[in-house]
Amino acid sequence: MDADLAFDALADPVRREILAVLAERDECSAGELSDAVQRVGRTAVSSHLRILRTAGLIAERRTGRFRYYSVDATGPAQDVIRFLQELFQGSLADAKAAAEADAPDARAM
Amino acid sequence: MAGLALSAEQRIEAPPSAVFDLVGAGAGAGWLFDTVCDRLAPGAAVALRAPLGGPPVELLGRIARIRRPGRIDIHLDVPWRGTLRLLFDPEGSGTRVRVVADLDEDGLRWLMRRRGYLVREPTDRRDHLLGLLTSKSGPGSVFAAATANLAAMAVDEVNADGGIRGRTLRLVVGDDGTNPEWGAAEARRLVQGGCRTIVAGTTSATYARVSDALRGDGVLLVHAVMNEGGQGGELRIRLGERPRQQLRAAAGPVMRAAGGRRWFLAGNDYVWPRAVHASARRVVDEHRGSVVGEAFAPLGTRDFTPVVETVLASGADVVLSSFVGADLVAFERQCHAMGLRERARTLALTLDEPTRERIGDVAAAGMRGIAGYFEQLPDTANAEFLRRYRRTFGAFAPPVGSISESVYEAVHLYAAAARRAGEDEPRTVARELRSSRAEFPRGTVTVSGPETVTQQLYLAEATAGGFAVTPS
Repeated sequence: MDADLAFDALADPVRREILAVLAERDECSAGELSDAVQRVGRTAVSSHLRILRTAGLIAERRTGRFRYYSVDATGPAQDVIRFLQELFQGSLADAKAAAEADAPDARAM
Repeated sequence: MAGLALSAEQRIEAPPSAVFDLVGAGAGAGWLFDTVCDRLAPGAAVALRAPLGGPPVELLGRIARIRRPGRIDIHLDVPWRGTLRLLFDPEGSGTRVRVVADLDEDGLRWLMRRRGYLVREPTDRRDHLLGLLTSKSGPGSVFAAATANLAAMAVDEVNADGGIRGRTLRLVVGDDGTNPEWGAAEARRLVQGGCRTIVAGTTSATYARVSDALRGDGVLLVHAVMNEGGQGGELRIRLGERPRQQLRAAAGPVMRAAGGRRWFLAGNDYVWPRAVHASARRVVDEHRGSVVGEAFAPLGTRDFTPVVETVLASGADVVLSSFVGADLVAFERQCHAMGLRERARTLALTLDEPTRERIGDVAAAGMRGIAGYFEQLPDTANAEFLRRYRRTFGAFAPPVGSISESVYEAVHLYAAAARRAGEDEPRTVARELRSSRAEFPRGTVTVSGPETVTQQLYLAEATAGGFAVTPS
């Protein structure tokens, strides 16, 4: 995986927004992505998707005339994003354990 | 800010107020909730110890907005700039907690490097590149939190004034992690990226290691911040305050305040603190005082109990604290907690506002610092400088200390020297830099050799919310 290419792909705010949308969902069609990313048009979204795919940040799946996109779980930027997300999620799990240990009444309700 | 946004959420079976109150309580509720801060209020400094692999990395910032029990916004400065929002919403009998984090481009790049990926800087061959080595992580990130901001501000000012002979000055930033080996690796990366000069705002330990690593490479290395001197040369320039001058200016007033002459010297175990202590022995002797004890602890120490106990047992009137960054913060908080403040006065040569605010208003009160710059300096050039800084980086940007302000000056001194040199050859630029004079927020700074700098020093006493500053 080419980290330079990935970073260049991430240097654009629209592409980062696309990744953020994809990070929250398993898979999106190009149309759904265009609806979610309002600040640029459909054609621009398509070209951003091509760059993200070339950089190995997202994967494309074709079904008939539809294309679906998802984050590529193996890319370096994705590794960093996933790592951070797990860090936050793990920290919230620790907070849950501490809060529920402190509040047995709330748990019983 | 346009950046990458991440979010995570968790349902917790406890009411929002109970969950909210776990933040900052040190209750073992995970690294986010266990944020270290003295008070939960807008503007309060916070530190989050994030397990990013290796030793935990302190994310430093401050509370930007808070509404109990619904929301806390934290503005982060290092190792990346961005925000962290904690949102608490009632959900049935419990709480839905969300964390929403965003980070900027530099932050993503920093994380990718920390995770082991090679990331190239997007540079333009027509630009005039300048490397900056700073500490975005490790104990030094406390004193260096504003360094990259101030270097960027100086670069913008240089470019607004025509750049370097018509070319755009561009900063390339490396993070030494307050670790000399990482510093050497980052310095090599900056050189491979096209930098022929590196300004270091790091510890002397990193400076010395980088100086060795770049030997024979024809690269100009400028140590911008207070240091012990030595190792200057044709391509090695050391700016900043010297311990001997700082100690000579501060020793008398500190001994008078302490009402005693017995000194204890305690600091981190590397070249600068050792040189500070060697100078202190001579200066204490000049003032007919005595040194009753000395102790060292490695950078990164968090439990200073044995050192503080030794200081207490020594009966010292004055403690010279030559710990730096997060180590100075931890040592001084423990000194206060263990009752040292009632027994002795403390002088710390690196005590600046970024460090003082993390020691805390109460624990730092009465400590003395001595340096060429404090935010409180009354002249108009300083007021205008701070206005520009706040306008550019916002009300929640980290405070400015002598160490970060020195880097701002070093960028300007470099740019002026590079313009005068009329060429990019580092040896020619270095020759110009070795005889420089400029007006800065701290006043007049004169460079008259590879390691000779003349400037006014100021004595500062920590008070609630800042310093009382007097010219020495």
